[in-house]
Amino acid sequence: MKQPFILALLVLALMLSGLLSLTIGSASLTVTDVWQALLGSQQNPLASTIVWQVRLPRLLCAMLIGAGLAIAGAVLQNASRNPLADPYLFGLMAGAGLGASIASILLPPHMLSLALAAFLGALFAVALVFLVCMGRQWRKIEMTLLAGVAVSFMLSAISSFILYFAEPFAANKVIFWLMGSLSRTDWGSVGLIAPAVSVLLLVALMLRRQLDALLLSDESAQTLGVNPTRLRFILLLLTALVTACIVAQCGGIAFVGLMIPHLVRYFVGVTAVPLLLGCTVFGALFLVWIDNLARSALLNQEIPLGIITSVLGSVFFLVIMRQRRSAA
Amino acid sequence: MPPPLLRLNQAALMIDGQSIVAPLSFSAHKGDFIGIIGPNGAGKSSLLKLINGTQPLSSGDILLQQRSLSKLSSRQRACKIASVSQVSPPVFALTVYQVAAMGLLPHKGWFDGNTSEDEQQIKLALRQLGLQHKAQTLVETLSGGELQRLYLARALVQQAELLLLDEPTNHLDVLYQHQILQLSRGLGKTVLACLHDLNLAARYCDKIALLHQGQLLAFGSPEQVLTAEQLSRVFQLPCEVSLHPGHGKLQITFFASGAGL
Repeated sequence: MKQPFILALLVLALMLSGLLSLTIGSASLTVTDVWQALLGSQQNPLASTIVWQVRLPRLLCAMLIGAGLAIAGAVLQNASRNPLADPYLFGLMAGAGLGASIASILLPPHMLSLALAAFLGALFAVALVFLVCMGRQWRKIEMTLLAGVAVSFMLSAISSFILYFAEPFAANKVIFWLMGSLSRTDWGSVGLIAPAVSVLLLVALMLRRQLDALLLSDESAQTLGVNPTRLRFILLLLTALVTACIVAQCGGIAFVGLMIPHLVRYFVGVTAVPLLLGCTVFGALFLVWIDNLARSALLNQEIPLGIITSVLGSVFFLVIMRQRRSAA
Repeated sequence: MPPPLLRLNQAALMIDGQSIVAPLSFSAHKGDFIGIIGPNGAGKSSLLKLINGTQPLSSGDILLQQRSLSKLSSRQRACKIASVSQVSPPVFALTVYQVAAMGLLPHKGWFDGNTSEDEQQIKLALRQLGLQHKAQTLVETLSGGELQRLYLARALVQQAELLLLDEPTNHLDVLYQHQILQLSRGLGKTVLACLHDLNLAARYCDKIALLHQGQLLAFGSPEQVLTAEQLSRVFQLPCEVSLHPGHGKLQITFFASGAGL
């Protein structure tokens, strides 16, 4: 009974947080204004436009991105039995950074949008890692992780080289973009990320028993009829695609994919179903509040999301770790 | 006599041109408890891997209920064969119940949930192996003996007819060694167990397969296989085989002075 109760509580918190966060922004709207706008009974067209065209898509993106990164992290950590696995492990961020650098510095202006270039760059990084690990190497998950690290360093070095010779304004644009922000998200972003995250969640839930079997060892899973190599390939590919979609829309948001699954494990356990559902709701809740903070902490200026997630997330995680240790 | 449950027909394993298991044949009937013995590197674990499918056959065939294992999908195979091998505790905090429940996997589709009968089956398996009071305990806190019993419970939940045990008594004290083998015998399954302790093999096995350098040197009852001449040759130590005065089974004593110590 404990797990459903925690999940129900998180869902309630998410809904309330969503409603509250729609009131936060430069134009002051009350909860009633927001509620009326959502129901279509708002008399003020400006309030309706702000809610429907600006704040709601951004809120949904925050929820989807938080959920997507947390699910991807949980899937990768369980599938690789590695608590340090992270959705960015394939060099995705470095690839996205390289794509963004090339589009904004080397290519003529407006030839390739930053988001599309970042997406292509992220896919390029994934393709490189997959190419290196093809065949027998897939059986060793450590090889995949190491290949990701190597590809990451390689692509980051190329990006740094391009940024070093670029004019400062263009370089700043790429660097700020990489720090993560939801300011460019719109209904198009929702339409892109929602199906990707839903497919990942659905497939991971369908493969829940296989994922759980991997938690012991590959050989143990094999004796239960699981093909660890194939299972891992499917899951790695899906998480890579989802993360590439997310990175392309909002740049780099650290911490969520690495740490949220650990926090969720503390409360609902390690098996796939409660972990994935917990990550979906808690990941969404976490990023909604991080985005609220990013938008409201400084007057007339947004703080990049990646900075807040890293600072808050790591402090929160260390506090939880310490509490658990003293409880033990 | 009914046909054997398991029949190995010139089954062999080669890795990188090296013979790990030379073509060998033997059969196991329903309810048999077969011990696989031999020195380190004799191919005991590899033989079990050939049977449970974690290692593909290089040549020959293995038949289960007169059906070639190569024609079964990995899931079908897992419904019929369960394996218990040395597994280190999981990285993430799994409970005893969750590990036992993994045995349901081969019988479940993508959208199947656990039924109340499944839950009963898991509880029954845990009770049979004396772990019912530890259902919600974390696996990492179990002792070696409890861990082995847990993997046996998972194998029971798997409802397989053939049970493969890879050195089930390793790292266990004397009490748990006997307990694990008595429990395995009492499950009513056909069991193939790799064993290092020849006295345990003599005491609990109906038949014994003696492997040496990947070859099956002898297969038969303990009296047929565990002869002083054969064991001295394979283990390169002089030994004596006698009858245990208490339980009347064979008792093997090696003399370490022959090892040049």
